[in-house]
Amino acid sequence: MANQETQVLDEIIAANRRKMLTLGVASLAGLAVAGLGVPLAKAATSYTDSDILNFALNLEYLEANFYYLAAFGTTIDVANAASTAAGALQITLSGTVGTAGSVTGGSQVPFTTIPVASYAIEVAVEEGKHVQLLLSALGSSAVAQPAINLGTSFQTLATAAGIPGGAAFSPYASDDDFLVGAYVFEDVGVTAYHGAASLLTVPANLVTAAGILAVEAYHAGLIRTTINYLDPTGASIGGYTNLISTLRASLSMAGLLGVAPGPYDANPDDYGLADFSVSLAGAANVTATRLTDADPTNVIAFARNTTQVLNIVTGGGAVNGTTQVSPAVGVFFPAGMNAGPNGFK
Amino acid sequence: MDNLSTFINRSVSRRKFLAGVGAGAGAVAALNLAGCSSSPAKTTTTSAPTDADVLNFALNLEYLEAQFYLYAATGSGLEASDTTAGSASPYQTVGTVTLGDAAAVPGLTPAQQEILNEIAYEEQEHVRFLRSALGAAAVPMPDIDLSFFGPLAVAATITTAATGAGSFNPFSSFDYFLVGGFIFEDVGVTAYSGAASLISPAGVAAGYLTAAAGILAVEAYHAGYIRTSLTGRAIAAGSAAAYPYLAAANLVEDLRATLSVGDGAAPSTTGSVETLLTLPPDTTPASSTTASSIVAASPTTAVGFARTVNQVLHIVYGSATVGASSGGFFPSGMNSIFATTTA
Repeated sequence: MANQETQVLDEIIAANRRKMLTLGVASLAGLAVAGLGVPLAKAATSYTDSDILNFALNLEYLEANFYYLAAFGTTIDVANAASTAAGALQITLSGTVGTAGSVTGGSQVPFTTIPVASYAIEVAVEEGKHVQLLLSALGSSAVAQPAINLGTSFQTLATAAGIPGGAAFSPYASDDDFLVGAYVFEDVGVTAYHGAASLLTVPANLVTAAGILAVEAYHAGLIRTTINYLDPTGASIGGYTNLISTLRASLSMAGLLGVAPGPYDANPDDYGLADFSVSLAGAANVTATRLTDADPTNVIAFARNTTQVLNIVTGGGAVNGTTQVSPAVGVFFPAGMNAGPNGFK
Repeated sequence: MDNLSTFINRSVSRRKFLAGVGAGAGAVAALNLAGCSSSPAKTTTTSAPTDADVLNFALNLEYLEAQFYLYAATGSGLEASDTTAGSASPYQTVGTVTLGDAAAVPGLTPAQQEILNEIAYEEQEHVRFLRSALGAAAVPMPDIDLSFFGPLAVAATITTAATGAGSFNPFSSFDYFLVGGFIFEDVGVTAYSGAASLISPAGVAAGYLTAAAGILAVEAYHAGYIRTSLTGRAIAAGSAAAYPYLAAANLVEDLRATLSVGDGAAPSTTGSVETLLTLPPDTTPASSTTASSIVAASPTTAVGFARTVNQVLHIVYGSATVGASSGGFFPSGMNSIFATTTA
């Protein structure tokens, strides 16, 4: 049966892609051939594009609610005067797969500068559209919005990162604090969509994922540029980016479960804004900023697999030693992500 | 003193520029103004492009970006060893760079210099990465014309009112540089988005897609930087009039849209894949309800745009004409099977 054969083929492709991603997407043709001979621990499990898009939807629920709360003081499903005036979508939470949860914490930031306020509004509007797009694309397959903690979760992460006063940190207290909160998310969104790109099997989904990847990177560039502008020496919020990136890299490496990172996923796989030294047009030891979060050798942005991303957004909840924990629970997702029977959580 | 806008009116109309080479003598004159020389048409192919073809297309763009940023940051370009032909490439002639005003941007603060250094480094490494991935198949650097910024600004109707005294020169100040970078960055993002779906299943398995997506992200970081800087400096200046570079960047967007949508016979922005920069009004921030426009993406879905290879070529050739095989930043055309526009 052609359909069955196609399905089997899809499963083989999906399984191999997943294996490659677990390996950190080792490069170039020879390795792909080698990968075919490797016994696949999860060869019986088939991941569909829906599984991958639902994983992304969980992350978009998280990001969109953070920015809506910061910009408008409301969650994505409730309109208020501020969100309406900004043209932000009011999202009907139509996803039903899994267990619906509530959003805790978060409040409107008392912005004092026009740039940061307008940036927050823009990003909120765009992340809301991402949620809406994924809900529409997934239809009845869409996962419900899980329980999301946008309050104490930041204090837990700030403390773990070693940010001074982290136990009392709130991303809703000021323009500067908001930027630090946003920094926690944006580079992670980039790596998650990057990691997912090669897992998708429907060409149209790849194009969409690439487009969302670009938007997340625009956001990340926006946040990093603004932090660098406000604190070019790294004395305060610029320095915090280094602490956060170090923590993210540590959680991400743990998510590799003992497998060495591939050529595009060096250890560490995350860099804050601290200057670095480069060789430029033949001149050595030239100082450069780090507005781009990418591998310093090939300057290709990092990709993370779902376990790496889960381990970051749950603050280490996805890994116990070299064993994957599922569902991963903690920090932003106190009850874990929602997924279908074979999905990532 | 000769005013740039009168110069435009006298010598080259935007419309003629847009009409491109196929439309007759006026357009040819415009392209010659850009420093182009006639060159034999590149061969095209109707067979499916290989992954190497796709990566080599990207390499041509990276050569251009790297040269621009390296000259802006350091006053020097790519090292010769980064421009050579792979032994199996059908293109064996290494091109030259027409410098025009290209030079290290003067008057930068240390923080600004470090940012230029970063972007220059990252584009340089993209060149090296693609050359390494392509190996013997890597095309050499084609002829690149960095003096094309002037004619491009004329075509975009960026006048002295928009950029102060003198003609548009992205190497003359930090703000001019931002507009110069703006010409490229959104295009780079959309070019990689468009190319992603051209990569074969074997190429996906080989890691090409992941590499392309990772470079796409870096280009979007850069675009985010450029757009944030232009917007932030306009906000700091207090008004659009006080910071004309924002409007100049939007004129670049208008030009890109007319170049890459439809044929030159009827310039149009319908179907544009551009998002114009906006200046949020000067209101009490806490009550602000106006979003910035840092991200270039679909207004309905907030998904980033993609461009076809033809759309990208129309922009970097400075010609909307179907069949154009060279021009603009690539006076002898790209070293690519895609070099001649087919739509």
